[in-house]
Amino acid sequence: MAAHTEEAPLLRIAGLSKSFAGTRALTDVDLNLRAGEILGLVGQNGSGKSTLIKVLAGYHRPDPGATAVLAGEEFALGDAAGAADAGLRFVHQDLGLVPSLGALDNLALGRGYRRSRLGTISWRAEREAAVELLGQLGYRFDLTRPVGELRASERTGIAIARAVEGFTQGARVLVLDEPTASLPAAEADRLFEVVRRVNAAGVAIVYVSHRFQEIFELCDRVTVLKDGAHVATRDVPDLTEPGLVRLTIGRDLEGPSARHATAARSEEHDVALRLRGLVGEGIEPFDLEVARGEIVGVAGVTGSGRESLGRLAFGSLPRAGLVEVGSTAVTAGSPVASIAAGMAYVPADRLSNAAFVDMTLRENLTISRLRDVYGRRGLLRERERQETLRWLTDLEVKPCDPEARLATLSGGNQQKVMLARALRLGPAALVLDEPTQGVDVGAKRTIHDIVRRAAVDGAGVLVLATESEELLALCDRVAVMVAGRCIGVFATAGLTADDLTELTMGTAGTVADGTSEAPTDSVGAGSVGAGR
Amino acid sequence: MTAVDTPVEQTAPPSEQDIPRTARFFTLSNVSLLFIWAVLIAVFGLLTPETFLTTDTFRTVLAGQAITAIMALALLMPIAAAQFDLSIAGSMGLGIVLVATFMAKLELGVPLAIGLTLLSGVVIGLVNAFIVVGLRVNSFIATLGTGSILVAAIQWISGGQQIVAGIPQSFTDLGRHEVLGIPMSVVFMVLIAVVMWYVLELRQTGRYLYAIGSNTEAARLAGVRVNRLTTIALVVSGLIASAAGIVFVMRIGSASLDAGTPYLLPAFAAAFLGATQFRQGNVNVLGTLVAVYVLATGVKGVQLIGAPFWVDDLFNGAALIIAVALAVRSGRQKALV
Repeated sequence: MAAHTEEAPLLRIAGLSKSFAGTRALTDVDLNLRAGEILGLVGQNGSGKSTLIKVLAGYHRPDPGATAVLAGEEFALGDAAGAADAGLRFVHQDLGLVPSLGALDNLALGRGYRRSRLGTISWRAEREAAVELLGQLGYRFDLTRPVGELRASERTGIAIARAVEGFTQGARVLVLDEPTASLPAAEADRLFEVVRRVNAAGVAIVYVSHRFQEIFELCDRVTVLKDGAHVATRDVPDLTEPGLVRLTIGRDLEGPSARHATAARSEEHDVALRLRGLVGEGIEPFDLEVARGEIVGVAGVTGSGRESLGRLAFGSLPRAGLVEVGSTAVTAGSPVASIAAGMAYVPADRLSNAAFVDMTLRENLTISRLRDVYGRRGLLRERERQETLRWLTDLEVKPCDPEARLATLSGGNQQKVMLARALRLGPAALVLDEPTQGVDVGAKRTIHDIVRRAAVDGAGVLVLATESEELLALCDRVAVMVAGRCIGVFATAGLTADDLTELTMGTAGTVADGTSEAPTDSVGAGSVGAGR
Repeated sequence: MTAVDTPVEQTAPPSEQDIPRTARFFTLSNVSLLFIWAVLIAVFGLLTPETFLTTDTFRTVLAGQAITAIMALALLMPIAAAQFDLSIAGSMGLGIVLVATFMAKLELGVPLAIGLTLLSGVVIGLVNAFIVVGLRVNSFIATLGTGSILVAAIQWISGGQQIVAGIPQSFTDLGRHEVLGIPMSVVFMVLIAVVMWYVLELRQTGRYLYAIGSNTEAARLAGVRVNRLTTIALVVSGLIASAAGIVFVMRIGSASLDAGTPYLLPAFAAAFLGATQFRQGNVNVLGTLVAVYVLATGVKGVQLIGAPFWVDDLFNGAALIIAVALAVRSGRQKALV
């Protein structure tokens, strides 16, 4: 690869900046993609990877001054049709497939079906083309089976096949945005094979990932972004994993796991929430204990299992394994039973999972337990109003009006109402899923204060979050999840956000190996993990 | 990348909360039906003063709409929980045939006949609930199906014959009875309305139903037993619809076979039109009753002017569409329409 260093790149992006309402997401970024190569694109959350991809795909218009050249021809950035005409193809993280349709139909979406002379769909031509296309990628499965029933890697394969279908007509760049984010390890290998085949057919590939092993396994070169700027582009064979980590997080690797793997064991009698051998969607046996008054975080990138842990613990997703609140085992699969046992849960994605936007703040708040505001003749509206007013005042909700409809509140204030709904139960165990999602900075601070106060009042709090900064600001300990497994529990004292982010990327596995054990078979040992 | 793109903070529009609660209740959009009602009465009163503004007209409209109102009330619990119940027409029709058959052919006593007929409504509700909750069939489809099955049952039980003779005098007397000059059918309607109002506004059940209608997943995660409450809603709608059948026989004194169907659309029109009133986009008892009588006033007025007989259907159909369009515009009732 190093041979054609000075050869003109296939795709050259120069001077690309992008601002959103005054904040700079990308600053003067250059990107060069050579013909026939696989280029990795890495960076932490918020480094600008997504924005860059979205500008390339024409979803965002860049700030003036950026130039883009593909195969010697300039094309306009920020124009979806232009990007497609120039020969750029994208497979986004959500794939954009219709789960209820088979591969045949999904391939035809967008480009239209092949027609027979009578104008009807020519299924035979469709089938032959699809078999050939998917065969080239090494796939063989029922083309009419709804893709929702296929394996995750097969779905990704169909999305890739659909994206590259037009390559015979001279298109030549495929951008894959974190294709393995929700893929089990074994299926990821299958996917790499597909990517290599597409590449071998003469297609240059931009491969976005935050799993560094994949970069080393798959890519020829890697471009690193940090804080919206281009940090470096290197040949992969010249890099080591610690070297890549250093470029990504901008400082040296000090083995945070070695320093911080203290994982204090909680006292038996003080345990507020115990998860033992918890198994379910995307999670291999998971053990964790949260003591009364303690705030424990769970870190992990999307696809690590972190995003389903809360629902598994609360029982709104089917699970196996033991969940205890205090020392009472909680019946699986029932939010009602979890609440009765003393657990309160604030779900992620407020609008889908928690908010009654057309109802009043009073109704939103008291729904968690109406018997508190119940008299012999039914609901006591005045008592409801009083209690709501107390919470709204206490949590600084604006407007402080129990009869306002939830929809009229800002995201931060809505989230405070959701928290109040959980807190009024006086829960022994409080599980918070992305507690500050879609919340402004000011409200975020208030929400953190509220969570800390709940812990001081004796609740054991479990916080699941994407943001390292948030976890460090809130938690005493953080469990780190990578690919469905807990790789260790770390005390947050002295841990930096970069340390934590690096752990969630899974690369620190090499560092942590010396000090921590995989928590899979810890029998009866309460909090798991590191530093035994 | 991994962080979910969350919507940008919206600044809350300066709204409702600045207005005192009582004043807020009387904002134009919230009680517009009352204004429309007043205008209708004024206009028709001026056009046909000698016939429209009479106690007779008033009583005809009041009593004539009692069954429509009961049928609309039957819909409130399912609609609050974002479920349809199209089978209420069939439940009412079966109620009519059953109560008449029990009394006229099987010669059961009046109380037993009424009790068994109400039980049939409960059973229909349970069957609907099994299909909707247990088999996860969309309630629109499920109750469309059971509605048709009920029509079959009505024909089978009655043998295709109306029941005109043999209904005890004591039973029809009850229908002609008046309390303080108010017809019994209206009394039944008011009783059902009061109980329904109490359950929807002041009981846990009502609050939970509205929560389910607002956001089913959020309700489930807040600890609401969604399946159980959906079942209750469908059972209650079946029960009230069969009660409407009993009241019908009481008033008319005979059992016709297809008497339930004409009530279905006016009931939906009233429930949805009522939802635009008083409770900001949610179905409610007061709004429903007002809507029933606003529609009836309009129909009666136009009839007195000399409009043809089909104006009834025209009015109700238009009202249903306008009501739902208003609800969509105000961005509520997402779950259902």
